[in-house]
Amino acid sequence: MKKVILLFGICLSIVACEKLEQVPKNIANSNSLTDFGGVLNAAYYYQLGSVTPLAIMGDFRADNALMIEEPYTSFDRFNNDLLDMEEQFFSPFYIAMYRSILSANTVIENTDDMSIVGEAKFLRALSYFKLVKVFGDVTINLTSSDINLNLTRQSASSVYNDVIIPDLEDAISFLDNSGISNGRASQLAAQSLLGKVHMQNRNFSRAETYLGDAISAASGAGISLQENFSDIFGSFNDLNSEVIFATQLSRSVPDEYGFTEFTGWYIGNDSKSFEPLDLDLVAAFDAAGDVVRKDLTVNESSKAGIKYISEDPDQDWIEIRLADIILLYAEALNENGTSATTVLPLLDDIRIRAGLAILDPAVLNTQELVRKAIADERRLELAFEGHRWFDLVRTQTVDAEMGESINEIYHLFPIPSTEVLASDGVITQNPGY
Amino acid sequence: MRFLEQKFDTVTCIKKVYSHENNYIMKLKMIIIVVFLLLFSAVNFAQDGKTLTGQVFGTNNSTIPGAVVKVLGTSKGVKTDFDGNYKIKVKTGDSLRFSFIGYIPQTIAYQGQQTLDINLVEKTLDEVIVVGYGTLKKSHNTGAISSLKGTDVTAIQSTRVDEALAGKLSGVLIQNQDPEPGAAPKIQIRAASSLSGDSGPLIIVDGYQISGDLATINSFDIESIEILKDAASAAIYGANGANGVILVTTKKGKPGKTEYSYNTYISIAQKYRDNILKSGPEWGTYSREQIAAGNWDVSELDPAFVDYRLSAYENSPGAISPEDWLFRTGISTNHNFNMRGGSENARYYGSVGYQNTEGVAITQAYERFNARLNLDLKLSEKLDAGLSFNGFVSKRDMLAHDMRDLLRAYGVHPIYHTEESIAYVKQLNSEAIGLGLPSFDEGYRGGVGPTSINDLQVGDPVDDWHYGRSNNGIGGSGDAGPAQKLDNAQRWQKTYFANLVAYLQYEITDGLTLKTILGGDLNNVEDYYYQGLAADSRARTDQTDLDLANRNATSILSTTTLNYNKLLGKHMVNAVIGAEVLNNHITGTSLTGTNVPYSEIINFNLLDPADIIVGETDATRARQSLFGRAQYAYDNRYLLSASVRRDGDSRFGSNKQFGVFPAMSAGWNMHNESFWKSKKISLVKLRFSVGTLGTSSFLNDYDAQSLLNPIATVYGTGFGISSNINNPDLTWQTNRETNYGIDVGFLKNRIRASVNYFVSDIENMLIGSTVSYTTVGQASIISNTGDMRSSGLEFEISGTVIQKKNFSWDINANISTVQTEITSLDNVEELPQIQYGQSGRGPVFRNYVGGEIGEMWGLETIGDVEMIYMEDPTRYTNNTSGESYVVDQNGDGVIDNEDFVKIGSATPDFYWGIGTSMTYKDFDLSMQWQGSYGAEVYNIDPLYYESQWSGLLKDSFDADDDGIADHNGKYYVANRNQTDHGIQSASYVALRNITLGYTINKDWMTKAGLSSLRIYVAATNLLYIMASDYTSYNPEGVETQTTGYLGPTTYGIQNGASPIVRSYTFGINVNF
Repeated sequence: MKKVILLFGICLSIVACEKLEQVPKNIANSNSLTDFGGVLNAAYYYQLGSVTPLAIMGDFRADNALMIEEPYTSFDRFNNDLLDMEEQFFSPFYIAMYRSILSANTVIENTDDMSIVGEAKFLRALSYFKLVKVFGDVTINLTSSDINLNLTRQSASSVYNDVIIPDLEDAISFLDNSGISNGRASQLAAQSLLGKVHMQNRNFSRAETYLGDAISAASGAGISLQENFSDIFGSFNDLNSEVIFATQLSRSVPDEYGFTEFTGWYIGNDSKSFEPLDLDLVAAFDAAGDVVRKDLTVNESSKAGIKYISEDPDQDWIEIRLADIILLYAEALNENGTSATTVLPLLDDIRIRAGLAILDPAVLNTQELVRKAIADERRLELAFEGHRWFDLVRTQTVDAEMGESINEIYHLFPIPSTEVLASDGVITQNPGY
Repeated sequence: MRFLEQKFDTVTCIKKVYSHENNYIMKLKMIIIVVFLLLFSAVNFAQDGKTLTGQVFGTNNSTIPGAVVKVLGTSKGVKTDFDGNYKIKVKTGDSLRFSFIGYIPQTIAYQGQQTLDINLVEKTLDEVIVVGYGTLKKSHNTGAISSLKGTDVTAIQSTRVDEALAGKLSGVLIQNQDPEPGAAPKIQIRAASSLSGDSGPLIIVDGYQISGDLATINSFDIESIEILKDAASAAIYGANGANGVILVTTKKGKPGKTEYSYNTYISIAQKYRDNILKSGPEWGTYSREQIAAGNWDVSELDPAFVDYRLSAYENSPGAISPEDWLFRTGISTNHNFNMRGGSENARYYGSVGYQNTEGVAITQAYERFNARLNLDLKLSEKLDAGLSFNGFVSKRDMLAHDMRDLLRAYGVHPIYHTEESIAYVKQLNSEAIGLGLPSFDEGYRGGVGPTSINDLQVGDPVDDWHYGRSNNGIGGSGDAGPAQKLDNAQRWQKTYFANLVAYLQYEITDGLTLKTILGGDLNNVEDYYYQGLAADSRARTDQTDLDLANRNATSILSTTTLNYNKLLGKHMVNAVIGAEVLNNHITGTSLTGTNVPYSEIINFNLLDPADIIVGETDATRARQSLFGRAQYAYDNRYLLSASVRRDGDSRFGSNKQFGVFPAMSAGWNMHNESFWKSKKISLVKLRFSVGTLGTSSFLNDYDAQSLLNPIATVYGTGFGISSNINNPDLTWQTNRETNYGIDVGFLKNRIRASVNYFVSDIENMLIGSTVSYTTVGQASIISNTGDMRSSGLEFEISGTVIQKKNFSWDINANISTVQTEITSLDNVEELPQIQYGQSGRGPVFRNYVGGEIGEMWGLETIGDVEMIYMEDPTRYTNNTSGESYVVDQNGDGVIDNEDFVKIGSATPDFYWGIGTSMTYKDFDLSMQWQGSYGAEVYNIDPLYYESQWSGLLKDSFDADDDGIADHNGKYYVANRNQTDHGIQSASYVALRNITLGYTINKDWMTKAGLSSLRIYVAATNLLYIMASDYTSYNPEGVETQTTGYLGPTTYGIQNGASPIVRSYTFGINVNF
């Protein structure tokens, strides 16, 4: 009998001593983490989800590229058809941006390491900037997770004034330029981005300040224009001297939503748009007599954008490069009333690189002419880099350039309808969708 | 002889437990016993006195071989022979006792007659059923429990146990969501208990909670299955019982000569429904008919072009509809061998089995080896011990590419090029150029194959572009051809499962037993997926995959119970208390590779290490429980039972880890009352039960904690957004259920019926509440929110229609209904609406207070936009206009979400089963019918192969582009939007199984060393009637695998469901 009881006792005690508390040792928990570098990496990573949507919105919505197959052609129509594209473009973009923001928030909330906080603030500002450009008003979240968040979309100006601008100002003071060669956020990138933000807000005097700062700091940070236009793009040239900030892509890092890479769309490798080139862009190159950039940007016979080498998944998505900043700076100066003789020489290096004559201030002698010259230069320099549509909206030249009267409500894109549903209507849809 | 008698009694005890065996099995067993006894029979005939002869009959007037005829008060006794005949020496005035296992013994005073035939009555009322942590006399049961015998399961030739249960039990819905070989069907017992996860039941095998599903059990090893449906029966399983409990009892050894049994069958299977999709030539002919009949208008097109295209369709050599390529005849074989036997102190049952099933779609297959050993030892008068092992190895080969996508391929070409097809492509190309159209080599043509039609080789997989595009040919799609997709992909799953359980049982005093079970199981699952470069139409290396995941789930379970069982006069007391500890440990690694090189040999060594992402799982969950139950029966009239269980589970928040689940039930055997005089009504039992259950089966290990997900980034490991938030209050949802039941029996219970009605209230329901991505970066987080009420009625009837000596006919039927209603969602009236399906197609799922779970909403359509309005109706094979007229419900002149109405629900109004079995002499015939009525599916498939191109209407159809058809003023939208166009009826009536068998049990068989041989032919789904508006292959198919599926709240989408299969089987059972 005793032996039997002993036997039963042993059986029972073998397993009865397990604790119910289960704290996994092999998974990071934001409550116990001390090094937030990994969370910052995630904030960088989520930028990947914005790349393809921005490429599509930037060029296909504008007069650089066309969709061929339904329902993708809704990008070329200015009505509510664009809602069909929500699942493939707007939703993943929106999700990725908020995930980057939440990751950045976790870093900002939890660490005292100012250089890490600086990078996080840069990424948060970049994400909100992208959101505002695409959707207009958006929900602001500055916490790592807040289930009771006020979901109401805040006006674009308060997103700029309360989040983006202060974040970038902090980033400028917290960061130096040591990370630039690794493609990480830097003081220079923050200055450049803040300049872009002010341009977007048409606050040209502040823009002039920050863009000017960025241009003067560039060489100190090892940033200069590439000698050849062809040396800017493609994975061989990733993080070249002209790149101030890029979202780095790698074939070893899957896209946040596993969708086609942006280069495939430009090149026409997708049946949705196997001949994406809008001939309007070809005409623009031809009108400018621009052979160098045209040959490196488009292929007229296959009707494709070839700036990025055929589907190489390692090619980075250039977010900010020096030529972009120089052109914006010129634009800011012109808007601020600086004379053409000061403004136009800023474009010289870019034009010479493109094999074009420098612009003559005697000919382009009005603010309006200079404005047009800079805008044209931007189009040719930055085609198939996701800028065109946003530039048209920013400079209020959509109708003129697109050659049709477009209701301004279609300057913005539709908020993912799942967000409207999830918030029970607190997050509102943009008008027209 | 004494030795023999003793043995026989042991058999009797076991037989008592399971006396509802099929006739033929019963016979076989009797034969075995008789054979066994023949050796000793000489003893019986050496008696003195007058000789009485006669025959012993049992149920259905069948004769009983092996029945015992005894003269009371003496040692005289004989057994009946094969035909139930006996011969015994008796004196007038002797008392003769006739007995047989499972039958009520009869004692008769001998009055000197020459012959005496006896009819024995089966002891149905004393049947014992298995319940949680014990057994119970069926007459004492107060809950809602359904039972099945192992023979009912093996009567159906299925790859899995659960498939065989379809239609056999009320309140148990078995649905072929995915009939791929080896895939699990949906099992739902009564109502869904959760909005968040699927409500699969708890599986207990021989008292042990296994970590796998029913597929871990070989159906031939099953002695019986009990299904606990109501709260009072399942409450002893507390937090895990809310989805119902399936108790499986496996076969045990029995003392005596070893019995061997071998079962084998071979089946051929094909998909049930045929010819849904037209091939190119069929489309061409059909197009000409439609144009001739004036249904289609091609007047806006160049006639030469139309003619070119239609003849291109018609004459395409080797053109094959994708369904004719994808589906085939699958052959399955099954072998099963088992043996059972032992001595008084050591009994054993062992089996080995093998099955190999080919799916009806190419590449689908399932292969499995399994083995079981059950050992039961009597170590001393009071101490019993046992050991059982069950294990299997299986491999499932799955269709490695989405079936919907393969079926949408155009049937305008062969799968691989032939000389004729290459010549044809070139001819078409030159004809196109002749018509002034672009050549086929223009435009996008990717993949790894030739980039010009002039480079095609015989045997090359056909890509659609080889046949041009919609503006110059008949190809049309930019996708890779179906062969490229399937030939360059592979997906399989290997499972290794082992379960080892030991028990010790000690009888402390009479009626008081201590039992402990200790066991562990190991469930190792390996998943492999490969998609090569050629499977992608654009040969993008980052679209390639090489994935291998290995997941090891181990569990250790210890259960110790103290059982008390006592009959004191009219008082019957049965009590159990126990403690249980369950620990699950899951470890796993996964390799997810991309940029797989284009090479003949594929392995991970060829990949750049940076292209392999390593995943890791290491999770532990623990559960601790205390439980008890007391049952009391007075005079077999008044029945009372109460139970309670306290469970602690590590997955819940630190503040709320423990839950208590009580239950009670009562019953009244009215027919045992002295006032009950009716002879016709032999059984009336009223039952009532109420209890509380929990459920947590769908909860993940760390749902209450905020953990960061590791992800690969260019800077190394990143810690991504957490899937959950910290929630220390996350806890059990409780399910309070009340059951009212009545059992009635007529004509000595020859006909029995029972009715159950239940109401179930779920509180603090665990819901994945949808939240805005702006809050936590996820679509939803889990929390205890909301209440739900479900109710249902279940009716079962069984009876013996004919009971003749050579002919018998049994029939049983059941029907069940279930309704659910969401009664509260805390502070909201509705969960966020979810549009779910495929790429924007599919309904909006709504879950709101007052509604059912997962209602499908969308626009009401009032007819298709006619083909005559299509710009070019010949454009793609099988296309339709892709648009429907819709109703502006609120009349505001805008078609939007405000116009949505409820368009469907995936919950059936009722489902039913009818089973019948007949025996005539040595023949047996059985049928199992099953059906479901009133459910709907949203079928995505036709939206792809019929109408993925909306916007192809003539400009004149809606010249001002205002969404209103100009010719009739009706609103119209694309079918792919949220409309009821995709809603189809999922009702069906199926003849699940029909089996015709013939048993040979002649004397010469015995001489040949065999005790019996049965051969049978069977068919599954010989008849399967689908609703007229259902257009795909499987009305039961529901998608539960794609991302976006959130459980019952989004249940009802059909997306490339594997077809319903019809199979024919030939099988043999041999016993020796």
